[in-house]
Amino acid sequence: MTRIPQWMMSARVLAGLSVAALICLAALFAPLLAPHDPNEQTLTSILLPPAWLPGGQADFPLGTDSLGRCVLSRLLYGARIAMTVALLSSFGAMVLGAVLAHVAGYFGGAVDWLIGRVVDIWMSFPPVILALIFMVGLGPGLRNVILSIILVDWTRFCRVLRSEVLIVTRRDYVTAARLLGFSHWRIIAREIAPATTPLLITLASLEMGIAVIVEAILSFVGLSVTADTPAWGQMIADARLSIYQSSWNLVFPVLAIFVTVFAFNILGDGLRRTLDVRLAEAQRA
Amino acid sequence: MNAILLLVFRRVLVSVVILLIVSALLFCILRLLPVDPAAMSMPPTATIAEIEAKRREMGLHLPLPQQYAIWLGHALRGDLGTSIHFRRSVVQLVMSSLPATVELALLAMVIASVLGVGGGLLLFHMRGRRVCEQILDLASITLLSIPEFLWALFLILVFGVWLEALPFTGRLSSEFQRPVVSGFLLLDTLLVGRPDMFWDCVRHMLLPSLALGVAFSPTIMRVLRSSLLDVYQEDYIHQARLRGQSEWRILLRHGLKNAILPTLSLMGVQFGFLFGGTLLVEVIFSYPGLGSLTVDAVRNADLPIIQAVGLAYCVVVLVINTAVDACYLVLNPRVRVA
Amino acid sequence: MSLLVARDLSVSASIGGETLPVLQSLCFSLAPGKILGLVGESGAGKSMLGLTIAQMLPPGFACSSGSLSFGGEDLIAMPAVKRRALLGRDIAFIPQEPLSALNPVLTIGQQIGEHLARLGLATAAERKARALALFDSVHLPQGEQLLDRYPHQISGGMCQRVLIAMAFAGKPRLVIADEPTTALDVTIQARIVRLIVDMQKRNHTAVVFITHDLRLATHICDDILVLYAGRPVEYGPARRLFSAPAHPYTRCLQLASPSMRGERRALLALPERMPGLRAWKDLRGCAFAPRCPVAIAGCSQAPPALAETAPGHRAACIRSAETGGIVAPPPTAVAPAGEHQPVLQAQRLCKTFAIGGLFRRMRFSALRDVSFELRRNEFLGIVGESGSGKTTLARLLVGLETPSQGRIRFATEVSDTRRQRRSEIQLVFQDPQSALNPRRRVGTIVTQSLEAEGTATPAARAERARELLREIGLAPEMAARFPAQLSGGQKQRVNIARALCASPKILVADEIVSGLDVSVQAQLLDLLIALRRQRPFSMIFISHDLSVVRYLCDRVLVMYRGEIVESGATGEVFAAPKHPYTRALLAAMPPDDPSAAWAPALFESDAGSAP
Repeated sequence: MTRIPQWMMSARVLAGLSVAALICLAALFAPLLAPHDPNEQTLTSILLPPAWLPGGQADFPLGTDSLGRCVLSRLLYGARIAMTVALLSSFGAMVLGAVLAHVAGYFGGAVDWLIGRVVDIWMSFPPVILALIFMVGLGPGLRNVILSIILVDWTRFCRVLRSEVLIVTRRDYVTAARLLGFSHWRIIAREIAPATTPLLITLASLEMGIAVIVEAILSFVGLSVTADTPAWGQMIADARLSIYQSSWNLVFPVLAIFVTVFAFNILGDGLRRTLDVRLAEAQRA
Repeated sequence: MNAILLLVFRRVLVSVVILLIVSALLFCILRLLPVDPAAMSMPPTATIAEIEAKRREMGLHLPLPQQYAIWLGHALRGDLGTSIHFRRSVVQLVMSSLPATVELALLAMVIASVLGVGGGLLLFHMRGRRVCEQILDLASITLLSIPEFLWALFLILVFGVWLEALPFTGRLSSEFQRPVVSGFLLLDTLLVGRPDMFWDCVRHMLLPSLALGVAFSPTIMRVLRSSLLDVYQEDYIHQARLRGQSEWRILLRHGLKNAILPTLSLMGVQFGFLFGGTLLVEVIFSYPGLGSLTVDAVRNADLPIIQAVGLAYCVVVLVINTAVDACYLVLNPRVRVA
Repeated sequence: MSLLVARDLSVSASIGGETLPVLQSLCFSLAPGKILGLVGESGAGKSMLGLTIAQMLPPGFACSSGSLSFGGEDLIAMPAVKRRALLGRDIAFIPQEPLSALNPVLTIGQQIGEHLARLGLATAAERKARALALFDSVHLPQGEQLLDRYPHQISGGMCQRVLIAMAFAGKPRLVIADEPTTALDVTIQARIVRLIVDMQKRNHTAVVFITHDLRLATHICDDILVLYAGRPVEYGPARRLFSAPAHPYTRCLQLASPSMRGERRALLALPERMPGLRAWKDLRGCAFAPRCPVAIAGCSQAPPALAETAPGHRAACIRSAETGGIVAPPPTAVAPAGEHQPVLQAQRLCKTFAIGGLFRRMRFSALRDVSFELRRNEFLGIVGESGSGKTTLARLLVGLETPSQGRIRFATEVSDTRRQRRSEIQLVFQDPQSALNPRRRVGTIVTQSLEAEGTATPAARAERARELLREIGLAPEMAARFPAQLSGGQKQRVNIARALCASPKILVADEIVSGLDVSVQAQLLDLLIALRRQRPFSMIFISHDLSVVRYLCDRVLVMYRGEIVESGATGEVFAAPKHPYTRALLAAMPPDDPSAAWAPALFESDAGSAP
């Protein structure tokens, strides 16, 4: 019974995957693709419009910013940060959230209560504020951005997955496995986790979009990577200052964020439909 | 009614506990910082010995739990310390910027609810019409992919820069003197009887609140749609049809009344997020609220302010959650009368 | 003059590009004040009639030919507005699941008020007075308070009475009751049936009573139409149809359900099961022919027409003369019930649960002082209604819960670890859908206990799986299937096989045949008897169905509100019940003899069994 799994057939999944893959490739090969060094300042040609507009130069396909840096090159290098953060932090948050959700949902009782209260405390903060506070505590840098997004967003997984684990745990086949004398960990791994994996994958895909946004917010307020590493949020913050001189500078990073987030969202939605996970809708935020 | 009072009472108790834990956590996280608050509060010419004296004065040499206990003691007396950067009382700073943010968030919540419920009903209405449904669904995912700060930039570009139709900095035009009664500007301008000022204030708030409201509406839309779809699978909808009730009646009395419940609990979470979203929107619109204060404090490593605004955000989210839970209780007899 | 007349009514569905027949050539007429029973197994298409009348068929389903007229007007061609005007006023419905048929966020008063407003009662005072009168007519006590209650606060039986009151509120000419008692307890079922019949007589209403229970239909209906695979197979006056069935399927239905009186006879377990909707269009001859005990070659050639076998009695069978010759197999010798040696003793078991939150904690006692013993190779039946504690007892016995007081002793001393219990006692779950992991193959599922031991090689496991499947009457190839590819009966067999794999001395079977059609139920009951002969084991068989317990079990315990109220040898308890509750249970069963009087108790005015 080998056939292409159904989720591969969905147009949304394919569209989302291919756009995300393209962005990943662009990020990976940024040094080859970028026409300039992203930090190279050409002070003679600042705030150039894109090449196809009057005044544009073919040398700077998407124009330059207020310091005369190539916008395209900065976008490509910025994609490296965005994708690294998206992949690693959503993976980390997924692992942390999933483990706690399974433990809470399966064992119930005091463990469930404790984990539930921790989630409550976490949820009493807007995630952006919490991430900001973690960044203040941890200090700037790519590793810390990833860490603080993991520390903030594991609750998104934990909340939704826990209810799914509860539903699965109530199934009689889980009880049957208990009666046959399997160990708890084995039951979680063999009977419960396979049933919650579709939801997990869907949530992870949505989380990648969220991580891109959070990273952009953090770098916008200057709390992400250090200033010499180009990031999309930083580009937006720079461009905002010269908004009257050149609005193009603002448009490109905004588009880059939108396209990336859209790709992850459409992928998540396609997965939700084909893997038939109902709880995922409630998670969107 | 009793049940609601009981709930609010319980939530207040729980919130106090949460606030205690949160303040302790905040305290610890902020002490991880590699900056020295004592050194920062001294002029650059201060000697090592002077700084050390200041450290002792500020209690920074004490063990962390003891420092927290001291801080908590002050906090309970309404003293959250003095801003290192502004050299003003932190409580005053926070209280002067909190109303602006709450006002903005409330307006945004109204916009998000109206757009969300309206859009959800529209999405639901289009069910089964393949092309329409697909287009609207894709549109809602597109909206979902635009976070509030992108909306803010987009609205500034279109209405501020290109059309020059609306202002996009601050709360009020510079020619007006800001009245201070309650701190809620929309209310204050009306209280002092200045409709022109009120209108100016509305124009200033339009873009930021729209950015927030529009950004948070698609989630509400989609959840309302899917809850309505779920509810319409239920037998009581079928039975109401079999009794010959009209479709409108079924939608409003049977469908919406049930579908609003899961939507409402989602809105509780969403509004918490929305309140966090004010941070960047305020920065982008140079709106003098909690968000702007936070970002300034972060840039200046102004620890007392960060600690205080962290708590302020937390308090507001807890209030929002309690309010939403109370609404849920009013609308859902199953939890009200167990 | 007939009220509802169907002539060659056919409904078809277009699913995935093909057109499938759902109902074929339905013909009947129903006069005012009469009851028509629509009898068939699940999936036979009997619910489609109600949906056709309301024109609320699922998407893709449509009436393809024939006519359906109501009071002389064509229901199919009628404009939607006009039909909607009929619904609730002239045509009313009584649903299958009363609890889910009422809106959970509206009070009973709001819902009945909404309906009365549609019926034309303009003021709130009028509606209230009318609602109270209606409650009175369905014997619902304390109407005033009931108006302010929400559906979750009252029992299923009360919900159903509210719905019956609403159905009859507009003095409709036709009421369609779709399995109105399936979701309710036995004693409530009988009362609801009695209530519907009383209301029908009082209002001179015509009723279409849809049910899977031929015996019940015989007692309350004037005419019966038997459906098989979407086709009418027999139609005639109820008593005649029951006492002299003219179609082999009707006869087989009778012989497949165990009786409550007389000698214990063996069941006629038909092979296979009714084909699914997708196979119907490929059936060339009689749909029942492949399972029919008297089928001949001619049966599979052309579909038989409904032909009159007696005045007003028609059957679609070319062998209807042979129907009377179908008899149940001779009674099989049941293995002798144990040597009085107990394998399990329950001693004064109590179980209380704490419910509610931190503030208002309440104790609910699910089991009170339950003592009994299970003997070697004995089948012990436990009967009781919902809330009687029978499922709690099962969970205690297998070790899923610990008793609050008392103890359970096994013949061989087992410690509390599950590994040791495994070969002592196993549970067969009620719902095979939930009991089988959909992501695992049948072969893996049935040998899970070897996996838990962790010693068997894959080859040994496969061998054991084949062995087990053979034992429970499934083909060895089934080992490679997933549960979703099995029918309900097959899933339940797999469920039993898994429990048997560890060769336990005791099986606890919790309602394992409820929810299955009678022919599948007969197959499973015979399987259990066959297994008992092959490999002696003891079984605790929990069921709400007295006739099944009578058929299968040596002894029986009757449970009521957490206590054992009566126990003894099955024959004795059911022949001469001592406790009033046992008597009430027995009285709620329609008698085998269609002409015997059956008058189940009415609701007493204060009878509102707690939810």
